[in-house]
Amino acid sequence: MGQSSSRSRRRDDYRQTYPQHAPLPPPPPVQPPLTPPYNPSSRPNFSTPYYNPPPAPAAPYYYAYQPQPSSSYNGLMRFFESWVNNSFPSYYRPNQGNGWLNSAAPSPPAAMPPYTSFSAASSSSMVVAPPPYVEHQKAKTIKNDVNLHKDMIRLEADVLNPEEYLVSFVYDAVVDGSVTIYYFAKEGANCSFSSIEEDIYKPRSYPFEKGTARKFCQPSGHGIDLGFFDLESLSKPANGEVFPLVIYAKACGPTLMDGQSVQSAATHLQITLAVIEKNNTGAFEVKVVKQILWFDGERYELQEIFGLANSSEPIDDADDDIGKECVICLTETRNTAVFPCRHLCMCSDCAKSLRLQSNKCPICRQPVEKLMEINVNLTSSDK
Amino acid sequence: MANTNLPRRIIKETQRLLSEPAPGISASPSEDNMRYFNVMILGPTQSPFEGGVFKLELFLPEEYPMAAPKLGRICLDILKDKWSPALQIRTVLLSIQALLSAPNPDDPLSDNIAKHWKTNEAEAVETAKEWTRLYASGA
Repeated sequence: MGQSSSRSRRRDDYRQTYPQHAPLPPPPPVQPPLTPPYNPSSRPNFSTPYYNPPPAPAAPYYYAYQPQPSSSYNGLMRFFESWVNNSFPSYYRPNQGNGWLNSAAPSPPAAMPPYTSFSAASSSSMVVAPPPYVEHQKAKTIKNDVNLHKDMIRLEADVLNPEEYLVSFVYDAVVDGSVTIYYFAKEGANCSFSSIEEDIYKPRSYPFEKGTARKFCQPSGHGIDLGFFDLESLSKPANGEVFPLVIYAKACGPTLMDGQSVQSAATHLQITLAVIEKNNTGAFEVKVVKQILWFDGERYELQEIFGLANSSEPIDDADDDIGKECVICLTETRNTAVFPCRHLCMCSDCAKSLRLQSNKCPICRQPVEKLMEINVNLTSSDK
Repeated sequence: MANTNLPRRIIKETQRLLSEPAPGISASPSEDNMRYFNVMILGPTQSPFEGGVFKLELFLPEEYPMAAPKLGRICLDILKDKWSPALQIRTVLLSIQALLSAPNPDDPLSDNIAKHWKTNEAEAVETAKEWTRLYASGA
């Protein structure tokens, strides 16, 4: 009885913390059916132009959240890419050396030659304002000592305690370290985390050993009874800041690790913030919302880049280089990513000339806010 | 003369168009001007244009690929405001082939034909078949 009343109280608490959604607008008025002048069943989608551009990829969900301000977060957008084994998150600072952005204002695109009789759409497209200023930054490589594979995080039923679930994941680490599992935790200063539900589940830490593609699983008996929480509260971060599951991985270097001490500036962290959903077979699934790196006193958010995996091999002269080459010149290795859409699709020269003519990503046509040069090949040589 | 300083992109696209042509599409550059292509598109099966061979001229302007290829009067958004330099001759021609499979009478070249298509599609399809046979049956 006591337990069930505390359970219902808890649900209410969570509900209060959710952002209030505005009520849906009323449904549009029902149009009187038009009398079709032709048999509509033969062409149900007749009025839909077939050539609508493909939908832009959904904005990555972690953009929905403001990064937590921290003492070192100075508003620069930070960019990371984890790299198996020799991880190298990286970021760009503006205006480093490549000063082409500061040159004269871009000239408008050349007037379109003939065929002006095309249509209204084509004539309106000729009125193009000069593209807005776009930062063009260069990546810096930093090493990520520990990396959780974010698609390999599981909640496994504890065989000995069938109600309870244990966290397991696959990771790569170049040094030993420790991992702490939090439920309903919130970020504090300097990437520290604390649970707002410590009375229900006390965060626990476990050592891990270095290695690649290693599996970690919480020991039996350390799990959590997820049935205690309603699915709603597990499936999204409350107030955008309390994450249902936080996996806090700390690379400690060769000497560890007696629990609390030794917290030097050289601490390297990777923190994985996740929500928990039930899939259609009724099993719990972990969905990563974002990953944070703490490296030499700076906080970074990890973001995937589309097109990076294919670009790490140098281009040879064979014709099988599609997928690594710049989509514009089809010649140079692509090394420049567009933000916020994160399409790594151009070489730096083509990015520069694109910048003078358009502010749209060549892949998805979303406006370009920032260009980042990522030279993957440099890192493969310094292994 | 026009072939000097041909961008490598155009050379690569041309090589790939010739070595791996898309099904039902051929595009070959003119000897005089490597920016000028003679294109043939086969009418897609299951369309009123099946059995037809549709010839096009395609020209790559100086600004290509920052500007779209020139193709005459085809109402296709990627040839206008939706052009992206990530698109290629091959993707443009595939889009035109797809347009033959799914004509869009809401953005017509000929208002009369679009009106016919919208008011009596079956009859308009018959006309298209007939005209394909008469005017696009190859050679």
